[in-house]
Amino acid sequence: MTALISVRDLTVSYPDHGARRLFGPVPRKTILHGVTLELPKGRITGIVGESGSGKSTLGRALVRLVRPDAGQIIWAGGDRPVDLAPLDEAQLKPLRQDLQMIFQDPMSSLNPRQKIWQLIAWPLRRYGLDASRAAACAALERVHLGAAFADRFAHQLSGGQRQRVGIARAIALNPQFILADEIVSGLDVSSQATVLTLLQDLARDMNLTVAFISHDLSVIRHLCDDLIVLNHGRIVESGPVAQIFDAPSAAETRKLIAAVPLPKPDAEWLT
Amino acid sequence: MSAPVLEISNLSVRLPNDLKVLNTVDLRVEPGEVRALVGESGAGKSMLGKAVLGILPAGLRQTGRITVLGQALDQLPASVRRREVARHVSLIPQDPLTALNPVRPIAAQMTDAMVRIHGWPRRKALARAADLLEQVHIRDVARVLKSYPHELSGGMRQRVLIAAAFATEPKLIVADEPTTALDATVQREILRIIRGLQQETGTTVLFVTHDMGVVAQISQRVTVLFGGRVVEHIDTEALFAGAGQGHAYSRALIRATPDWTRSDAPFAPVPPEVIADLMQEQTR
Ligand SMILES: Nc1ncnc2c1ncn2[C@@H]1O[C@H](COP(=O)(O)OP(=O)(O)OP(=O)(O)O)[C@@H](O)[C@H]1O
Ligand SMILES: Nc1ncnc2c1ncn2[C@@H]1O[C@H](COP(=O)(O)OP(=O)(O)OP(=O)(O)O)[C@@H](O)[C@H]1O
Ligand SMILES: [Mg+2]
Ligand SMILES: [Mg+2]
Repeated sequence: MTALISVRDLTVSYPDHGARRLFGPVPRKTILHGVTLELPKGRITGIVGESGSGKSTLGRALVRLVRPDAGQIIWAGGDRPVDLAPLDEAQLKPLRQDLQMIFQDPMSSLNPRQKIWQLIAWPLRRYGLDASRAAACAALERVHLGAAFADRFAHQLSGGQRQRVGIARAIALNPQFILADEIVSGLDVSSQATVLTLLQDLARDMNLTVAFISHDLSVIRHLCDDLIVLNHGRIVESGPVAQIFDAPSAAETRKLIAAVPLPKPDAEWLT
Repeated sequence: MSAPVLEISNLSVRLPNDLKVLNTVDLRVEPGEVRALVGESGAGKSMLGKAVLGILPAGLRQTGRITVLGQALDQLPASVRRREVARHVSLIPQDPLTALNPVRPIAAQMTDAMVRIHGWPRRKALARAADLLEQVHIRDVARVLKSYPHELSGGMRQRVLIAAAFATEPKLIVADEPTTALDATVQREILRIIRGLQQETGTTVLFVTHDMGVVAQISQRVTVLFGGRVVEHIDTEALFAGAGQGHAYSRALIRATPDWTRSDAPFAPVPPEVIADLMQEQTR
């Protein structure tokens, strides 16, 4: 199994304003401590871990929204492998179309004055693709939003409808890699089921490699091929998803699995 | 029996094009109850919460009656209404990032409402803020109080908003998907906290969620919405009893819920024929 992305000894830190002193540079706080992992081509890898464990930070490093302090991010999506870690924005630019991301509320950072179809067309134009209204509507269809939504504005959609626009926006670019950070956590169960099935089908059809960050272990169990469990910025367990659920080896994994609320009332669960 | 904390009768909300996003909704929530409000995306759950808080988007028209603690809100002058709502009702909003002011530290944001509503000295408000942050299991309270929203993880921001909602000692909390961005462990902690604070203070909670697992654990009753209309109000126990109780649509929502213990039984979206039947029923 070839890896699309191989991460070696990745370390990421942020400025720590809480620990700021009167003089001198702002101290930094290390979030990821030498993380090593592989994202196999065409597979969906789940990333779980408790809040603040560094899932989003890892995701942001994979698509180079943050610059790592140390380590390598080897991208095997081109003619020859490149290390993304040291690249600057100009060097990353030709790779960006292949590295797409979807967030929990992708619309909150977008221009509220643009219609939905224009929001989808804008990145298409940036990468020199067909940016017509028809092309945008075709992407909307793929996430089960009719053309009726094309002329609405983001604030006129419900949270769930917006998320599907975010997915449409990413897949319209035909990327090789998609980072999905909590993308179904705002969705109702029915459209969650639709979106997950859709993502699974799209991933298969387009041979997409997906890093899927989620706090919902039931979703992870049904969607992902592989799983990475993070704890305090370190990987405590990784492997095929079925294997980990059947026999979790790390205490953190067992704790996460036990905390899943199942759809049957259980008087003990909240006590 | 004591008066309901929240009573909604015949509530409709219309868009400028006359489309109804809420349609003749009736809802009665008793003191101390945790009521789950479920339904698909676009069903009008957030809209219902916003109507209760009197923060419907501009241009939307509301008819019907909303009574909070026996006061008919729509009958009050706007300024009185705003004050009464602020005093008695809190919102845990659906979107944790945009709900926080990006240029003010957490401490200021949490204390503002307490100072404004109860006239508490800022020191007292700050102490209460710190105490509540501890109760929602924030590890590093001093750092978080000094932080700006973008310096916190999604889950931390959501916990800040939960603490802020309880800070003003409300009678009713509208929680709009308050645990969606949290990992399972923290979600369980937070639900315990909400339940604990809720039982201790007797606060009534209208709990908007799409997670039928959460519904099963936290609520006593469930209101199911579809297309802006109430499908049914049903006891949580009955809905999940699996003995054919509850509306076919509500049961389909349960079947759409992934359950890791049943890897052989995949979840499925609500079948179109269930939707078709429901729509026919609603237009009768
Ligand atoms: N821009 C930033 N500046 C400073 N600290 C940050 C920044 N972004 C995140 N952090 C900190 O890094 C840590 C990890 O955050 P991250 O968002 O990666 O966690 P997460 O696992 O995605 O959590 P969640 O499940 O809550 O989304 C947290 O302690 C957070 O406060
Ligand atoms: N400002 C607005 N103007 C016009 N229509 C709106 C506006 N906000 C929401 N809507 C529409 O009103 C309906 C109800 O939206 P609401 O946000 O209440 O849904 P919801 O049940 O909370 O969904 P979700 O689970 O996705 O959050 C949706 O069809 C939505 O598109
Ligand atoms: Mg995150
Ligand atoms: Mg909503």
